[in-house]
Amino acid sequence: MIKIRNLYKSFGNHKLFQGIDLEVKKGEVIVLIGPSGSGKSTLLRCINGLEHFEQGEIDVAEIALHSLNRSRPSREDAEAIRQVRLKVGMVFQQFNLFPHMTVLENVVEAPVRVLGIDRGTAEKDALSFLRRINLESKALARPATLSGGEQQRVAIARALAMRPQAMLFDEPTASLDPETVGDVLAVIRDLVYQEGMTTLISTHEMGFAREIAHEVVVFDKGEIVEQGPPESIFTSPGQERTRTFLRRVLAK
Amino acid sequence: MLLFSMPSRLLRTVLALFFFLLAAASANAAPSTLDTIKQRGVLLWGCDIAGGAPLAFPDPKDPSRLLGFEADIAEAIARELGVRAQVVQTEWDSLVPGLERGNYDIAMNGLEIIPERQKRVLMSRPYYVYTLQLVVRKDETRINSIADLKGMTVGTLAGAMADSLLRKIGGVTLKSYSAVWPYDDLALGRIDAAFLDTPITAYYAKPDKRLKYVGPPEGEGFYGIAIRKDDRELKQAIDKVIDKLLRTGELKNIYDKWDLWDKTQTKLFETAAATDTASKLRTDSDEAPLSTFLPSLLKGAGMTVVLSIISMALAIGLGICLAFLRMYGPGALSAASAVYIEVYRGTPLLIQLFIIYYGLPNIGIVLSPFAAAIIGLGMNYAAYEAEVYRGGIEAVPKGQMEAALSLGMPRLLALRRIILPQAFRISLPAVTNDFIALFKDSSIVSVIAMVELTKTYSILAATTLRYFELGLVVALLYFGMSWPLSIMARRLERKLKGHK
Ligand SMILES: Nc1ncnc2c1ncn2[C@@H]1O[C@H](COP(=O)(O)OP(=O)(O)O)[C@@H](O)[C@H]1O
Ligand SMILES: [Mg+2]
Repeated sequence: MIKIRNLYKSFGNHKLFQGIDLEVKKGEVIVLIGPSGSGKSTLLRCINGLEHFEQGEIDVAEIALHSLNRSRPSREDAEAIRQVRLKVGMVFQQFNLFPHMTVLENVVEAPVRVLGIDRGTAEKDALSFLRRINLESKALARPATLSGGEQQRVAIARALAMRPQAMLFDEPTASLDPETVGDVLAVIRDLVYQEGMTTLISTHEMGFAREIAHEVVVFDKGEIVEQGPPESIFTSPGQERTRTFLRRVLAK
Repeated sequence: MLLFSMPSRLLRTVLALFFFLLAAASANAAPSTLDTIKQRGVLLWGCDIAGGAPLAFPDPKDPSRLLGFEADIAEAIARELGVRAQVVQTEWDSLVPGLERGNYDIAMNGLEIIPERQKRVLMSRPYYVYTLQLVVRKDETRINSIADLKGMTVGTLAGAMADSLLRKIGGVTLKSYSAVWPYDDLALGRIDAAFLDTPITAYYAKPDKRLKYVGPPEGEGFYGIAIRKDDRELKQAIDKVIDKLLRTGELKNIYDKWDLWDKTQTKLFETAAATDTASKLRTDSDEAPLSTFLPSLLKGAGMTVVLSIISMALAIGLGICLAFLRMYGPGALSAASAVYIEVYRGTPLLIQLFIIYYGLPNIGIVLSPFAAAIIGLGMNYAAYEAEVYRGGIEAVPKGQMEAALSLGMPRLLALRRIILPQAFRISLPAVTNDFIALFKDSSIVSVIAMVELTKTYSILAATTLRYFELGLVVALLYFGMSWPLSIMARRLERKLKGHK
């Protein structure tokens, strides 16, 4: 579903990725862990074209993103990126809901404007998504009146309303109050177990990672330190750097 | 007794005020203006040298030197008083207020001897008899005398006799000029005729091949020197000097030099009686209650509102285009927009208006005052609006665009649906404040013969010399209109902050 080959990415002089390979198969759930600044967000942003990269290839659902080493991509490249974005949904750490729209409008905006679905159908759809995340009653509220956890659930519904084939979550619970983290994780869990959604998540929730991941990928300083099934990574990590990281996270 | 029961701070204030008034009164009583002039060795005279030839104007070859028959007369008077003359540049409309404020000792610049003026200042005996000359375009056939002016637009001088003569004909649209002469506007077809004092006509209109004189000289009035009300002694001295200049023939020599002597000038010898005749020409509005002026002031206010709204609409439209070009346009257009914004913000609106109204005709673009005012204000404010919108767009968090893009929106759609509505909310208070500023700045367009509220005021005030009361009324009108706007702006700001 998503194939990353030999990815090179730097910010100015700072060489972050120097040849990364990663594959996410259909229906697979991969969790990215690692210290902050290790490149998890950047990898997710490269996949849906919010960052350009210097070398390598990213294939998403048969669409190839090549190294687009310019800030202004050509018309064809821009369209390829857009097609990729239609295939994968993205959820941000900061939710990024549209503050001038109601919850319902947030969810129907893209299906109506981008997919051309008629508003009535889109709203019916959106309401069923909101019911699933238990926020139907907030359909007409503004995002600012919602708690962080509620906002993040709406952001997930907004992404799902585009019927993506895969989802990218970038630390979806990192900005939340502890008591609302569970609700958001429950929605993701539901999505993975009920629908078998192909999923790539970066997170610091180790328990959740262990529970949901088919495969865990450990990042450090822009490198993949090791990857494998959660039991082996969490119980018998092969690398010293993984052990150091896990010790530090679990100590908290 | 009451005084002593007052709280001590108030008491002190009252006493201070009392002594201040006492000091002011005694300062006034001290040396007379004539003594002061002699002591300092300089006669300060107020004059609008931008008003032009042949009254008093800077020598084109050496702008520090002053030419014109009034400059000559000022010098002669100073010489007779045993001092030197020095001009104090003052807008023509403000000559009398400036005199009253003590900015200079006398004012001389084609000031007619009329009762309205004599109520506020002393007028010397006349030094010049002027008439009014009607001037039209060379190819004009409809107008042969002032009786034909019904329904026409005529340029005159603010506060001058032309005004009251034409008002008697009725149906004439008057356009008052003060900073520039109406002859260019006449030649360009912005007005149908010009009706100004003969010295000005002789200097500016006579040599102009695009124009011609029609009809005989009309009216008859006198120029006098304005002196402060309590300076009787100075008036007597100046009257004596003028009398002497007349009798020695020096005055005639001066007028001959400027080609202004004609037989009507002999009337200068029969002074007192003559000033009364001239006075009768003006029957206006001096005792009239302020409400008489309300209709014209309201009309001016209406024009100010219309002007502001249309200019602001232009500023907003153009401002959005400029902001977009600057932020998203290809290199050259983005740079052009940046240059536009910097140039317009870095030069005075007044200069921009002059260039648009008086400059553009040189390259064949003739705009009506209304169009010039709107374009001038609109294009100027567009530069400020552009920066407001750019600020608004940049203030929308980056994550908004990223979220929109990640949903598959094309960049333009994201901009239109997600970024701009938020930028608009962020900018709204600033835009409202800019509108209030534009509303007040619109008073500047009075310099291009646009009759809005401020121009209406300056015309009425120059005619009636009731600067104070009319000024208060006009200020009140401006305030009455801008105050509700600023309340609205503040409320809007609070509301937008509320549900973010
Ligand atoms: N826009 C950017 N400009 C410069 N450096 C950046 C930018 N985004 C990320 N980086 C750098 O790239 C590295 C990886 O960042 P990131 O992908 O956010 O890490 P993580 O998500 O694992 O915390 C960090 O060193 C960070 O400073
Ligand atoms: Mg991150």
